[in-house]
Amino acid sequence: MSPPDVTAIPANPPRRALPLHRELDRVWRNGPGLWGQVTSVSHTTLGLRFMATAFVFFGIGGLLAMLIRAQLATPQSAFLDTALYNQIFTMHGSIMMFLFAIPMLEGLAMYLLPKMLGTRDLAFPRLSALGYWCYLLGGTILIAALLAGVAPADGWFMYTPLSGKTYSPGINADVWLLGVTFVEISALAAAIELMVSILRLRAPGMKLTQMPLFAWYILGTAAMMLAGFPPLILGSVLLEMERAFGWPFFDPERGGDPLLWQHLFWLFGHPEVYIIFLPAAGVLSTVIPVLCRTTIVGYGAIVAAILGMVFLSFGLWVHHMFTVGIPHLALAFFSAASMLVAVPTAVQIFAWIGTMWRGRPELKLPMLYILGFFFTFVMGGLTGVMLAVVPFNWQAHDTAFVTAHLHYVLIGGFVFPMLAGVTWWMPLMSGRRRIKGLGEAAFWLILIGFHGTFFLMHLTGLMGMPRRIPTYADNPEWMWLNLSSSFFGFVMTIGFALFTIDLILQAGFGKRSVRDPWQAPSLDWAMALPPPNYNFASLPGVELQKEGAGGAMLKLARGEGLLPGAPRGRREILVTSVGTARLEHVALLPFNTALPLVLALAICAFVLLMLAGFYALAPVALIPVTGLIWAWARRAVASVDAAPVEVAPGLLLPVHPEGGTTLTQSGLRCLLFADGTFFASLLFGLAFLSLVSPGPPLPAWGADQKVLLSALAGLSLLVTGGLGARWALGRVESGRPAGAALFGWVIVNLVALVALAALAAGLPDPTRHAGDAVRAALVAYVGLHITIAVLFSAFALDLARRGELAHGRAGALRNGWLWQGYTLAAAALATAALWAQEAAL
Amino acid sequence: MRQVGGMVWLGWLIAGPTAWAGAFSVAYGLHGLGCELGWPALDVGPLSLQRMAIALPSLAAILLCLVLLSRVKATLGPEAGLPRLGLWIGLIATLYTMAPVLVATSC
Ligand code: HEM
Ligand SMILES: [Cu+2]
Repeated sequence: MSPPDVTAIPANPPRRALPLHRELDRVWRNGPGLWGQVTSVSHTTLGLRFMATAFVFFGIGGLLAMLIRAQLATPQSAFLDTALYNQIFTMHGSIMMFLFAIPMLEGLAMYLLPKMLGTRDLAFPRLSALGYWCYLLGGTILIAALLAGVAPADGWFMYTPLSGKTYSPGINADVWLLGVTFVEISALAAAIELMVSILRLRAPGMKLTQMPLFAWYILGTAAMMLAGFPPLILGSVLLEMERAFGWPFFDPERGGDPLLWQHLFWLFGHPEVYIIFLPAAGVLSTVIPVLCRTTIVGYGAIVAAILGMVFLSFGLWVHHMFTVGIPHLALAFFSAASMLVAVPTAVQIFAWIGTMWRGRPELKLPMLYILGFFFTFVMGGLTGVMLAVVPFNWQAHDTAFVTAHLHYVLIGGFVFPMLAGVTWWMPLMSGRRRIKGLGEAAFWLILIGFHGTFFLMHLTGLMGMPRRIPTYADNPEWMWLNLSSSFFGFVMTIGFALFTIDLILQAGFGKRSVRDPWQAPSLDWAMALPPPNYNFASLPGVELQKEGAGGAMLKLARGEGLLPGAPRGRREILVTSVGTARLEHVALLPFNTALPLVLALAICAFVLLMLAGFYALAPVALIPVTGLIWAWARRAVASVDAAPVEVAPGLLLPVHPEGGTTLTQSGLRCLLFADGTFFASLLFGLAFLSLVSPGPPLPAWGADQKVLLSALAGLSLLVTGGLGARWALGRVESGRPAGAALFGWVIVNLVALVALAALAAGLPDPTRHAGDAVRAALVAYVGLHITIAVLFSAFALDLARRGELAHGRAGALRNGWLWQGYTLAAAALATAALWAQEAAL
Repeated sequence: MRQVGGMVWLGWLIAGPTAWAGAFSVAYGLHGLGCELGWPALDVGPLSLQRMAIALPSLAAILLCLVLLSRVKATLGPEAGLPRLGLWIGLIATLYTMAPVLVATSC
């Protein structure tokens, strides 16, 4: 079937809106009561819940900030002792970064994107729910540790050796490593599904080059998350291995290097700042033109700026390590990249100013926050440039100046735009209008309080006050500045409290809002307020997209768009092509389920066992995790052929993509990309430890022929497995039985696992030297992948046995093949790396 | 004009910055390797082996960007605008970040 021309799709006949709403609502709504909330997989519900939870964590982090400011108000306060103070600033930083900022932007993007792109949900609704529960459970672990007095206390970047077993013997550091990694599952889940949704779920005919800018920003953010989080996760895993089993990755006595942690952390940590900034800028680029009654200036330049930022921000992590003795030349090119990344930021700021210049800015509440952003962020940028100058950095490093700069950038660049966004989309989220006056008062308190608090910290920093100190008895001259700073901190807190009260009042008691109250053009406003879970009664085609929110709203509600209603009782959405959004097929989304919660609980059990130090028992918890993922995948399989669906008069679309790419396949590719950066970071670790770090040389392995042979045997078995999978796929596609081929695939993978076990048995003790530890880590990585390959092949075999693999429904097999290929590549690279490490001796 | 697929277009879009990222990583890696193996002391013609090793990947990235720039219009037609900007980003970023190679002391 040739793809239908998206510009010439006939309209569906108009119907009465109310019955159509009832039909859809029956299929898409959440179940009743609390259980309905627990099982919901709706992006609207989960997006709101992500944001609400993030806001609660913001409150907790803010409370901790107030404790810090109370402590610093006088030189010798006895309010918090050093140990507790350390826990509090570490938790403040970690909560704000991992439990507030990232989840907040995930929530906003999850809530808005399907609405802006003209579809009914995200690509993997169950994954949204899984991400939420991992976030909530991981966050709860961190807060519980704080209440129990065993919170991490080594600063939010957890430098080794401070965070190693010698200096942090308790479980405090483990709480951070395990808890934050658990929460990062939600970041990866969100990144994958946002990326796939943007690339594959846009309304038909909405080209990439025409989609709302917000989607470009989130696409960039998602890509950065897929590349940025894996190094952090790797670092956390390695450090946890060192703490739990004594594998000395970061221990200089045994060939490790604390700098490896710093590299891995900042490889994540600097991009993190842009991960936070991009969605905030997305809000600005969405809101500014509407409030100025014009269109954005320089769409193409902004997309190019996003592109530049996404890449360049990965080239400057070393600027956080300027004081640790990096060679001059490397310093020079990281410095250059640090300055270069200012260009895309400047391009955007000029685009926003140009837009305001061209239009007629209206001083509504979101605009106040936008002006607050400009003022604050530009100052943060200036102090940032100062810090990028190497000699100044040596001066100001680790003083309150850095704290001040950091908050100008984070609060200016993220919190202000987010507050603008919240006030902007509140009518959509709550369906109600704001009560006048309160919001403005909150804004002024926050703005004045913020600048009062942090401007003064520049000065204390220049006077030499270090960051992270609880007392300063020898420098009583710092007191007045600190006292004033603390005073303004409380002003800001009152502002945030007022902001919260304003939101609650609006959601509870505001007057009903009219539809599209800002007269915004984008599709997120072309729906009822607050939006039903299905967003659109029918999906906008090219014509309706052109009409904008105002014109399309009624027609969509009357079912004149594509795929109206839910006549088959299924959750149906349209899947389109990556570039020009040609119609490809209809996808069926899953119904509400408790599976994500149960899976998150199973992962939580694993995390808790690790935390408690029951290392022998912890792997047992992975059995239910595996079983649940298996059940998860089983439910996604279509066991019978479904008839094509009429999307518009005379236009039939298949439910199974004929040889085309399924959503799951796109998702798996994203996952493999993240997995690949994880692996690349591990190889970087290996190279770094063997080449750059000083310390005792790696003692010889004594690897004999047996080891080499099992590596080669394992590799060739993996190749054979891949061939088996390919052969099976060919047979399934042509309708022949594939059981034997699939059976062979399973067996070959199992034997490969045995070969790897033989190799592992020949490894030297990983606690002997960091080089040995990396070696063991590589082997473990490959082992994990082969194990999953076994599961993939067994899953396909099981489907074949049940007769559920057929032409056009062989997605599970294709995915398995993709995994097999990745595993093979990783195994080959790992073998080469081991060989090179041995040869370098 | 030929219609190119979305993934191909995305590939063109990120080609420039990817070339930069590749050159940057390889240069950083070779820099570490060279310091370990004593390359700065070995001369190859006018430059030390160290500088050569670091400059070559950048040169390759620059050439790649130039070649692609000369083809982008013919391949992508009316959709060439953004990918062209992307290639310029790659080109300028490579020139700018790698310029210090010529002057700064190594290791
Ligand atoms: C609500 C107002 C806030 C106040 C009054 C505040 C105050 C502070 C203070 C005084 C410190 C320095 C602690 C020390 O060095 O002894 C600090 C550290 C920090 N803050 Fe905030 N902060 C606020 C909001 C935020 C937000 C919104 C973020 C991020 C999105 C954030 C991220 C951090 C980070 C990462 C650190 C460094 C922690 C460390 O040194 O390990 N803060 N904050
Ligand atoms: Cu940075």
